Amino acid sequence: MEKIAITGMGVVSPSGIDKRVFWANIKAGHSMVGNIERFDASKYPSHVAGQVHELDAYSHVSSRLLKKIDVFSHMALVASELAIQDAKLDMTKENLKRCGIFVGNALGGWLYAETELRDMYLEGREGVSPFMASAWFPAAPQGQISIHYGIKGYSKTVVSDRASSLMAIAYAARNLIHDKNDFILAGGMEAPVTPYALLCCNTSGMLTKRNNEPGKAYRPFDKSRDGYAIGEGAGIMILEPQKRVKSRGAHVYANIIGYGTTTDGVDRINPSSDPKELTRAINMALEDAELEPSKIDYICADGAGTILGDVTETMAIKEVFNSYSKKIPVSAPKSMFGNLLGASGALDVITTVLAMENSTVPPTINLENPDPECDLDYCANKAQSKEIKNALIINRGRGGINVVLVIQKP
Amino acid sequence: MNIEERVKGIFKKVLDIKPEEIKPDVKLDQALGIDSTEMVEISVGLKKEFGVALADNEVKKTHSLNEIVNILKSKGAK
Repeated sequence: MEKIAITGMGVVSPSGIDKRVFWANIKAGHSMVGNIERFDASKYPSHVAGQVHELDAYSHVSSRLLKKIDVFSHMALVASELAIQDAKLDMTKENLKRCGIFVGNALGGWLYAETELRDMYLEGREGVSPFMASAWFPAAPQGQISIHYGIKGYSKTVVSDRASSLMAIAYAARNLIHDKNDFILAGGMEAPVTPYALLCCNTSGMLTKRNNEPGKAYRPFDKSRDGYAIGEGAGIMILEPQKRVKSRGAHVYANIIGYGTTTDGVDRINPSSDPKELTRAINMALEDAELEPSKIDYICADGAGTILGDVTETMAIKEVFNSYSKKIPVSAPKSMFGNLLGASGALDVITTVLAMENSTVPPTINLENPDPECDLDYCANKAQSKEIKNALIINRGRGGINVVLVIQKP
Repeated sequence: MNIEERVKGIFKKVLDIKPEEIKPDVKLDQALGIDSTEMVEISVGLKKEFGVALADNEVKKTHSLNEIVNILKSKGAK
């Protein structure tokens, strides 16, 4: 595919809100997964999560608007502003009819929704805030970003469970290739640390129950893993075509060069035990990138931390990369800040871009005794120095959704 | 507290603004950039505060504070 540049990045995450703080924590292998303290979650089977702190300190959003929006929109607004600043864009001088927003999330804004539902049952119809209508639904952050900047171009919100934002980023790149916009804000946001959302996540059966050791709870590819810890946050990037990058002299962090997606069509929750469709998605992305498998220097894994997820992801990588698979570092940096569900792809892309920029493979933490069926180099517990030219990012959503993106250092 | 002060209190709570930002004779959408959804919340707040019946759109963003106070008084608010 035609290369699409990433020229700005904004991150709101449990590992930090500024990308420099974020990268410092990632490189150091710090776990930011902790006990949930903002409400009593102690009776939930899984009650650990990666939580965002200090959002207000970075926020440019008025208190009047904050009453009308869910926290997932708030995090998206902050991440968008950071990305725009990072790309050195002056939005007042852009043709905003040719600016798009492509974002993904899996759940919508549940803190707002469940609070208002409680009021409806306690106080009746008039107890519900009229802002409920515009606050909770998955496309709300897209709307808020568009209103804040006056963006009027071709835009889209993608809901594909944990693959949502990676798919949104890929769609954004395609949109620019087809010359539908001049530039795009792309990424995702998720706020699952709320009483009802956490309950729904728990009932999926995919969450860790290692509550007594939160920092060690999320342990992809480890023999003793028992699922992932959820996390909250947002990641937004500025995507631009090469022509515009050259004309405005923008700094390019990385280029998106390949995309593949398939569905397993087997189970409504779990991935298929036969990884052939994930394998096909990886091959599709490599073909789109016009790269031989041996050209990939790093794989940012989905790293679900479930037996089926870890084993089938490893099988798919081995199937595509054959003997070379043992030479490629494969890691799940989300083990440090939690699985951001629909926003995880955005954070994975930002982490991978920072890994390229710093020539460092971020670690998979808590990998103490690898599962014998997971026998790749997962960059256990400590970052490794390595030049990364080409990287592959894998995200998988419930219902058997597989999304793979290939990015390249310029 | 008189009716006017109590109405201002509801505006302050819903819009997170200072009471002095509300000019008694200026239309709310012009003075405060108020939108229709905010007006629904204000209407619900007024009904609760004064215990009066207000039909949908009976208080509007094109009303001023004084006009809203008069509507409430006409419905027996004290």
